[in-house]
Amino acid sequence: MPTIYRITDEQIDLNALLAQITLPGTGAAAIFTGMVRGRTERSGLPPETDYLEYEAYTPMAEAKMQQVAEEIREKWPAVEGIAIVQRVGRLYPGTPTVLIACTAAHRDTGVFEAARYGIDRLKQIVPIWKKEVGPAGEEWVEGDYRPQAGE
Amino acid sequence: MMNKITLLFFATLKDYAGTRQTEMEIEPGTKVADLKNRLMKKFPKLEPALGTVLVSVNKEFAFDHEEIPEGAEVALFPPVSGG
Repeated sequence: MPTIYRITDEQIDLNALLAQITLPGTGAAAIFTGMVRGRTERSGLPPETDYLEYEAYTPMAEAKMQQVAEEIREKWPAVEGIAIVQRVGRLYPGTPTVLIACTAAHRDTGVFEAARYGIDRLKQIVPIWKKEVGPAGEEWVEGDYRPQAGE
Repeated sequence: MMNKITLLFFATLKDYAGTRQTEMEIEPGTKVADLKNRLMKKFPKLEPALGTVLVSVNKEFAFDHEEIPEGAEVALFPPVSGG
């Protein structure tokens, strides 16, 4: 079964990735993508974001992405293809930054939940960070998840 | 004989340390917690980050009681924020 996991500094090509995880028996794909938000309503800070600067510890990040894919396969054995891709570098509002796609024979096989699990786990254990740059200056965004032994 | 390790810093830790990568010699048997203490002396600016820092040894998450093997690649970074 095709599994793609990758840190890239190039544009995420959804059609090419989808083609790579589509098998003869595939009839459904659930795709999550996240993009840079240009406006965030929040107190104490201007709402505008100029850009995000992403950084990854690439060899560990790709190993952890592979681990997330293995966790998906264990929980949803009907999933056929999996793609987990994070773009790094300077990314402007509206730009897709991440893509998680899962394929299966039918939509009722868990593909929606599998893609959701993929993005949630990426945000917990894959070593990637982003710095927000806007009118108030720049600041690293920090998550709040603390991995346990074996994660 | 001292053990040689490679240290990598990411995100806020890289800013505080003022470097992305450095080599270091540690006593055999040094644990992750010992290394954090040594780093605080070597890079005093790291102190505010060491409460929440995550550590990996050879690309797996590592914890205070774990010994750091010879030749290890050790990375220090804040809780992740990808996506």
